[in-house]
Amino acid sequence: MSRRRMPRWSPAAPALLWWGFFFVVPVAWIALYSLGQKPPPGGGAVTLDVLSGANYVAVTSELFLRVFWVTLRTAALGTLACVLVGFPVAYALARYVPERWRPGLLFLLVLPYWTSFLLRAFAWRIILAPEGALSDTLRALGLLSAPLSLLDSNAAVQLGIIYNYLPLTILPIFVALDRIDPALGRAAMDLGAGPVRTFLAVTLPLAAPGIAGGVLLTFILAAGDYVVPAILGGAKGLMVGNLVATQILASQNLPAGAAMAVVLIGLLGLAVLGAQAAVLLTRGALRLARGPAL
Amino acid sequence: MASDVKLDRVSKSFGAFKAVDDVSLRVPAGSFVALLGPSGAGKSTVLRMIGGFELADTGSIHIGGRDVTDLPPYKRDVNTVFQSYALFPHMTVAENVAFGLRQDGVPREERRSRVRAVLEMVQLIDYAQRGPAQLSGGQQQRVALARALVKRPSVLLLDEPLAALDRKLRQQMQVELKLLQHDLGITFIFVTHDQEEALAMSDTIAVMRDGRVDQVGTPTELYDRPRTAFVAGFIGSQNFLAGRVESVGRLVADNGVIVEAANTRDVAAGSKGLAAVRPEYVALTAREPAGAGNKAEGRVVAVVMLGDALEYVLRLDNGDEIFARLARNAPERPQEGERVWARWAREHAALFPYEAVAARVQAIARPRPEGKSE
Repeated sequence: MSRRRMPRWSPAAPALLWWGFFFVVPVAWIALYSLGQKPPPGGGAVTLDVLSGANYVAVTSELFLRVFWVTLRTAALGTLACVLVGFPVAYALARYVPERWRPGLLFLLVLPYWTSFLLRAFAWRIILAPEGALSDTLRALGLLSAPLSLLDSNAAVQLGIIYNYLPLTILPIFVALDRIDPALGRAAMDLGAGPVRTFLAVTLPLAAPGIAGGVLLTFILAAGDYVVPAILGGAKGLMVGNLVATQILASQNLPAGAAMAVVLIGLLGLAVLGAQAAVLLTRGALRLARGPAL
Repeated sequence: MASDVKLDRVSKSFGAFKAVDDVSLRVPAGSFVALLGPSGAGKSTVLRMIGGFELADTGSIHIGGRDVTDLPPYKRDVNTVFQSYALFPHMTVAENVAFGLRQDGVPREERRSRVRAVLEMVQLIDYAQRGPAQLSGGQQQRVALARALVKRPSVLLLDEPLAALDRKLRQQMQVELKLLQHDLGITFIFVTHDQEEALAMSDTIAVMRDGRVDQVGTPTELYDRPRTAFVAGFIGSQNFLAGRVESVGRLVADNGVIVEAANTRDVAAGSKGLAAVRPEYVALTAREPAGAGNKAEGRVVAVVMLGDALEYVLRLDNGDEIFARLARNAPERPQEGERVWARWAREHAALFPYEAVAARVQAIARPRPEGKSE
C-alpha cells in the first residue's frame, strides 16, 4: 500500500494562512502605499503610477524625527518601569503568595482589561487633573505647592503607558518564575551562594526568557500606542501613532502615514535587535570573565 | 575532614503539625547514618534542619562542635544531594560542579583541576559539556553527588538519593555510595523510607515515626533486638500476634496460639501485648510439635517464589495468616493446600506492648509495591 505523507508543516497551515492574510499582506500593502502619491486636493485615490521615496524624505524631517525619538523613549522608559515594578510583583506571586490565592490575584491583575481601554484612559484625566484627587492629596500632604500640571504632557503619557501595560509585563515573568524549581534556590544556597548571588546566578538567568517576553510585548505595544497619547498627551505628548492618524484622517495623506508606519516598524526592529545583541554581549562577557568551568 | 553532628532536643512545627518532636541524635564523625521511617515521620525535616533549609523552633544543632542552629545553609560546612537532584538547567555539568567552588572564590586553576578530578571520580568527565537534561537519571544523580563532594564538605546530606532510580541501578549505587563514603571518610547522613536501603548502606540507623526517634542502632541491633513493635515491623518482615500477656515471656494470642518468648520488653502481666516472630524463623512440619506453645496449625494457601527463598502463607482456622520463609533446600517443603504445623523457637520470639501500628506493619511485611517518599 502506498501512502502519501503530508508535508511536515501541514499542521501549521491554518496559522500560516492567518499570518499571511492578516499580517504579511497588510504590511506589504502599507509598504507599497508608502511609495505612492497623495491624492489631489478635493479627494480621490492614492496614485501608485509613479513610486518614489519622497514620502520617506518628508517623514524623516527633524520635526517628525523628534516624535519618533519621543515615542521610542517613552516606550523604552515605560517598559523599564514596567519591569522594575512588575518583576517584584511577579516574584511575590510566584514565591510568596499561597497557591490557593494565586488564581484570584491573577484574575484581579487582568480585570482592568475587562473595561474599555478608552474609559480607563479618561479616568486618568480625572485623577491627574490640576484640581483632581491626586493633586489635592499631594497638596494636603505639603508635597506640592501649586496645582498638579501633569495632564497633556509626555509625563502623563508615560504614566498612562506604565499603567496600561504593566499586567502584560507581569504575566510572562510570573510564568517563568513559577516554573523554576524552588529546590534550585536551596541548592545554590547549599553550595555557598547567599541570597543575592543565588538570585543573580540562578533565578535571574532562568527567568530571562519570561523577562524578554514581557519586555518585547510591552515595548512593541507601547511604541504603537495611539489612545493614551491622544487622551492624556495633548499637543505636547504626541507619539507616532497620533501622527499616523493625523496624516491619514486629517491630512488625507495616506502615503505619508504609511511611510511613518514603515519607519516605526523598522525602528522597532532595530531596537529589538539592538537589545538582543546587548544581552548576548553581556552574557558572553560574563562567561569570559568567569572562565571555563573545566 | 569529617565532622560529628549533634542534635539536642530539636523540635519543629508547621502550623499545628509537629513535624519533629524533641529529637536528640548523635552522629559520630565519619559514620554513615540513615534516617529511616515512613512518610511524614519527620526525617526529611531533620535533614533540612541540619542543612539549614529549615530552622529549628527549639533545641540546638552542632556540626563539628560549632553551633549552627540559626546559620543559613551557605554558612554551614555541609552539602546536600537533593532528592530531585536540583541541577541548574542553564549550566553544563562542569558549570554545575564548579558553582560551589566559585562561591568560595577558589582560584581558577585549582577550581578546574578539582572539577576534573571529581568528574573523573563519578565517571562523567566525558559528559562535562552537556546540559543536565541530556543525562539519564543515574547520571544526573552522579552530577548532584559530584557537585556536593567537590566542596569537600565535612558532612554530606543525602535526601532520598536513590528514590528516583530503577531497582537495579539503585542496588548498584548503594554499593558505590558505601564504598565512596568509606574512601572519603566523611560523615554521610541520608534519609530513606526504604529499610533495605538503610540496612545495606549505613553503620547506624535512626528509625523515626511521628516526629520522634524510636530507636537508634546498628542494622544488626535493630533487626535482632527491636525496641518497639513498630521498629520490629518496619525493619524486615514480621508475623504479629495480638493477645494478652499471661506472665513474663508468655502471651496467649486472641486466636488461641501460645507464644513463649525469650525477648521480652517490660510488658506487664495481664496487659495487652504483641508477639513477633520473623518469617525466616518459622519452620513448617507435618507432625504436631511437642510442647504447648510456639506452634500453630493451618493450611498452606500460597507459596511465593522469592528467588533465593520460598515464602509460605499459612492460614489458620480462624482466618489469621502466618508467613514462613523457607530455604529452597529446607528439609520439609509442604505443597499448597496441605495442612501443616508452623513452629518457632523461644529465642526467636519477642513480646512488645500492644500498639495499633501492628495492622499496618503486617501489610508492610508482604511484598509491597515500590513506594515514593514523603
